[in-house]
Amino acid sequence: MHAMQISPVRVSRMCDGAVRRVTLSNADSRNVMNDGFFDAMEIALDGIPQLPSFDTKNPLPVAAVDHPFVVLIDADGPSFCAGFDLRECVEHAQSASRFVELLGALTWRIRSSATIVVASVQGAALAGGCALAASCDIVIASPKAKFGYPVHRIGISPAVSLPILARTLSGSASRMLALSGEVVSAAAALRMGLIHRVIEDEAALSSAAVEFAAALAKKGPRALLSTKMFLNRLDLTDDATAAGAATHASMGTAMHEECRTMLGSFWAARSNG
Amino acid sequence: MLVRATESNGVVTLTLNRPEARNALNLELMRALREAVERVASTPNVRVLILAGEGRSFCAGMDLKGVAADPVVMGSMLTELAETTLALRNVHCPTIAAVQGAAIGGGCGLMVVCDFAVTHADAKLGYPEVDLGISPAVVAPWLVRKIGAGRARAMLLMGGTMSGQAGLDAGLVTHLVAAELVQSTAVELAQRLITGGPKALAATKKWLNELDESYNREVVLQGARLSAEQIRSEEAQSRIRDRLKGV
Repeated sequence: MHAMQISPVRVSRMCDGAVRRVTLSNADSRNVMNDGFFDAMEIALDGIPQLPSFDTKNPLPVAAVDHPFVVLIDADGPSFCAGFDLRECVEHAQSASRFVELLGALTWRIRSSATIVVASVQGAALAGGCALAASCDIVIASPKAKFGYPVHRIGISPAVSLPILARTLSGSASRMLALSGEVVSAAAALRMGLIHRVIEDEAALSSAAVEFAAALAKKGPRALLSTKMFLNRLDLTDDATAAGAATHASMGTAMHEECRTMLGSFWAARSNG
Repeated sequence: MLVRATESNGVVTLTLNRPEARNALNLELMRALREAVERVASTPNVRVLILAGEGRSFCAGMDLKGVAADPVVMGSMLTELAETTLALRNVHCPTIAAVQGAAIGGGCGLMVVCDFAVTHADAKLGYPEVDLGISPAVVAPWLVRKIGAGRARAMLLMGGTMSGQAGLDAGLVTHLVAAELVQSTAVELAQRLITGGPKALAATKKWLNELDESYNREVVLQGARLSAEQIRSEEAQSRIRDRLKGV
């Protein structure tokens, strides 16, 4: 008998289709990122166009909005997203670099999409999970949420997240997060500007996130999307070349012998104890 | 006189003087303000500039009444707002916004472009433009420079307004005092600033402007063009009509 395949992502409609809710639903595996996850995210964002490039001669090319212009990403279980599926990375040598490439594509897709993306983070958002949250326009979280890039211990650089992280936070905060591997609390992430609101009553996070997305859906969609396009230009997160180069930098580390060795040791230590 | 200028010991105060409209920004008021700011900029012995508003509110934002549907006038107003903020940023000496009541939309933009802002805990601040179907792009560059891109992104996309206390927490405001002390605190701050070397202050401000690319005129004017385009859209026009009708 085959084990039932559970989709790692669940999609639902809210607010007459103005809001698309994308719920990471592989709670038992802490919503880890693997091929199935990235495929499901691609399908979840299907039909949402990309923002056009900023054109000084035509500053408002955002056409009529007939797609969901707010996306709410939340998650089942105690973790928002624990990053890459490390078992898969240990068992298949090419997986880590492929996941980095897919993560770079996903974060770019989110940042450059013609929709306002809200993340609701109830638990750990680590490594790729932190990169996912950072790529969203607005992040709300429970006091129990945790953020960070503890990836140097497995020989992978978080460079893939840096084009957004370094533009979102102060130089001091982005260097601390990207170089130390330290995991920070929701309160610290709020002080840094990585997240934007902490809902003190953790049981109320889900309903607060839904209310929040619904409130965004009442605003002018064209105004929202043109403002996002201009903000991407102002903070240079519309730079596809930088995003691509950063992805390649991380992929380079993920393909290196150092990563295979460190990842193997890390996994063995975790499995033993 | 739409903008009143007073001077005392090297401290110039420019006061928006349209209290009957809560100092809402129309073309005439912004032109008068820009001319006054440019006069200050060409007077090297001015040591501090205070920007204030007559009456209950510092500035209620752009005055859309009667002009929102006119794309030519709106385009001119948004360009003028962009030029006024650029002029304020270019002033050689420190600038202080003394904010009582409200600083909304373009008014919040004037506050944020200043080096310092003094207000009170229950003041009403913010950028509710997207609620009206308008884009705050014209003032976005100054907010990004003031509080960082991540916080600015959330603030501008969420719309709405916040209290003076929340403005302090977010970094929009530098000094929070009792409402009745806003003006006197701005003057005290100015007095403290003029004890510094004027050349040192001017050089420091110029360098900070270089570092955060405040001299990039084009990006502010691009923001003005984007805001002007958006306000022409039916999305914005219908929401503005409803707001002005009090719906």
